[in-house]
Amino acid sequence: MEDAHVAALLVRRCVAGDAAAWEEIVQRYHRRIYNLCYRFAGSADDAQDLTQEVFIRMYRTLNSYDVGRGAFMTWITTLTRNLLVDHFRKTKHDRLTDSLDATASDHEDAMPLGERIPDGGPAPDAGVQSRETKETVHQALQRLSPELREAVILRDLQDMDYREIATVLKVPEGTVKSRINRGRAELARLLQRTYRQVM
Amino acid sequence: MPGKEDIRMSCSEFDALLSQAIDGTLAGDRLSAFEAHGRVCQLCGPLLHEAEAGRSWLKSLADVAPPDELVTNILLRTSGVASTHRQVAGKAEPTSWVARIREWANVITSPVVAMARQPRFAMSFGMAFFTLSVTLSLAGVKLSDLRHMDLRPSAIRRSYYETSGRVVKYYENIRFVYEIESRVRQFKEAAAPAEQPSEQQNNNDRKNKTKNDTSGQPEQKQERNYSREGNQPVFAASLPVNRGPELARLWRAGSPEPTVVSVTTYRRFS
Ligand SMILES: [Zn+2]
Repeated sequence: MEDAHVAALLVRRCVAGDAAAWEEIVQRYHRRIYNLCYRFAGSADDAQDLTQEVFIRMYRTLNSYDVGRGAFMTWITTLTRNLLVDHFRKTKHDRLTDSLDATASDHEDAMPLGERIPDGGPAPDAGVQSRETKETVHQALQRLSPELREAVILRDLQDMDYREIATVLKVPEGTVKSRINRGRAELARLLQRTYRQVM
Repeated sequence: MPGKEDIRMSCSEFDALLSQAIDGTLAGDRLSAFEAHGRVCQLCGPLLHEAEAGRSWLKSLADVAPPDELVTNILLRTSGVASTHRQVAGKAEPTSWVARIREWANVITSPVVAMARQPRFAMSFGMAFFTLSVTLSLAGVKLSDLRHMDLRPSAIRRSYYETSGRVVKYYENIRFVYEIESRVRQFKEAAAPAEQPSEQQNNNDRKNKTKNDTSGQPEQKQERNYSREGNQPVFAASLPVNRGPELARLWRAGSPEPTVVSVTTYRRFS
């Protein structure tokens, strides 16, 4: 693939000390990593911190990346995922005490999930409703177990194929598929409970 | 015949094909068997609908925009170079010169500020400043004094000449006073023969002094050495009484303030 070839070239230049190549890597992948962090960690602040940590770790270990062993995208996703798992373990207690009324993050409407059950009538503003809906889905995603959450994020938000996801999660493809199915279904059930009238 | 095949599909087989079915990559007999199982199975049917709905919800989530400063922060924390080709790769947005200067300043100061913001560095800077202030205070140096001190070479040279000039003037003043005293003494000696009794009395005074003298030095030398404070007050005070009115008048004409002479305290100056 051309993109993989470009990435490999950038890595080679960067390892040789080319600051412009490193900036190109940051420019190319920061949005993707930020979104992965945001969807997994839930908050914009955490996502920003975690994205920076990912790139710091990447910068330090870039010379360990072997082009022959896989795509650069898979490598940086694995790096990010490992950091996210570490972060999750550290903040496990906070997450256990999270309630349905947990306030939302900066990107979508900050309203408790429990208060956002639509009353069936037409929304005054489709844009506002859409933003609220997205935030509701984002909040529901945070309520999935980390195994299911990471599987659906990588598949449905990061558009990775099963083989790549299996490489990142270090589990068989069958397990990946199963987790994706259960993750999607669990999310739908959570939202069904929230949007009773709609579903 | 196909109906029997559909029922025979197990729930685990259905689960294994679920992802592909939702992705739309399932076709032919397998798709037919899958759909048939979904229709009849109490567990797998709802699972299919929920998985499809869940996927739709997830797909409704769009990418969120990262904060503007994220790339700069990453670069500053990794390579330390904020941007190498921002001008070239920039989106050609019109930026004011103030914004550009601020950006440059930020690029220059950010690594330093970021480092100084780290608690251990901030602590070190604070301690270093505190130690310096305490040392200067103990040495008696005030920062305000240092600020007013002129340390240019020309200023130092000027200070030196001003100081040495003051010393020379001081010496000249003392010499002037001593000279006046000598003149007064000469005048007194010139006037002495006309006033024998007074001189006699003066000699008596000297003799009385000599009795108390334990220095062993000749009389004249003693007077020269100890003339200033020891003799002058007596001399100035006794003049009007002992020398008569005309001498007193003469004295006043020569030196309007006789007591001024007695103020000098430079005994062994010569
Ligand atoms: Zn079944």
